[in-house]
Amino acid sequence: MQLSIEELEGDVTKVILDGRLDIAGAQNVDLKMNVIAGSKTFVLVDAQKVSFLGSMGLRTIVTLARTIKSRGGKVVLYGPNQDVEKVLTSSGVNALIPIQHDYQSAIALLQ
Amino acid sequence: MWPSWDYFMTADSAVQTSEELLVLQSKLGDLALVPPWIERMASAHAIPASTEFAMNLCLEEILSNIIRHGYANEPGHPISIRFTAIRRGNFQLVIEDQAPPFNPVTAPISPIEETLEGRRDGGLGIRLIRDFAGNMKHESVTGGNRLSVRFSVPNQAPGGPSE
Repeated sequence: MQLSIEELEGDVTKVILDGRLDIAGAQNVDLKMNVIAGSKTFVLVDAQKVSFLGSMGLRTIVTLARTIKSRGGKVVLYGPNQDVEKVLTSSGVNALIPIQHDYQSAIALLQ
Repeated sequence: MWPSWDYFMTADSAVQTSEELLVLQSKLGDLALVPPWIERMASAHAIPASTEFAMNLCLEEILSNIIRHGYANEPGHPISIRFTAIRRGNFQLVIEDQAPPFNPVTAPISPIEETLEGRRDGGLGIRLIRDFAGNMKHESVTGGNRLSVRFSVPNQAPGGPSE
């Protein structure tokens, strides 16, 4: 699992995830996610290239969102594929973190 | 009847024995062996991507539970996974371990809100297994557990929805 960051206009940070967010993948990005959670306020998690999401990966995303929200920020999940989205809805994570498939709508939620 | 575990296990690594049987050691690193193995099954049996995803997800959750809880993160214990193509569009994975009895079919899990609020670690993986697998059956076998998990491909399995 690779994680990269792009800073966008309006204080929005795009976090791009690429690969499997399984146990190993979640461990790989854990430290970077903690840094983002503690320092960024408006985060778009670009999940288009996430090919797998398990419970450990869910916890990583939920922890990020809870921490940012507790600091007055917002997180949006952008573009998960159908299977990954089913994991998000089965677990109820979509109630905590909105999912958007339209990029402009995702950005708008963070303004 | 399983062959002796000693036949399959080496000191440090799992040994892949055949296309249909995968034997792992009780360490999280061995989970990396599963997706390529499932990919081969998927190729051989024309399993669609979503069903392959469900198999991978269920195995990740079931196996990590066995390793971390059943075997208490102790390495050197075997876990076997047997794949069977039952009929067109209908597949079964049977996971066997030698851990204390644990039944993910009936295990109580925390309310989802409590898990998402971080108040409980409670069974998020089990919730996913129950949502993504078809029929699931647990048996206590001598010295361990046998979990049989079925997957049906929509529009392929005779009789319609997942059994």
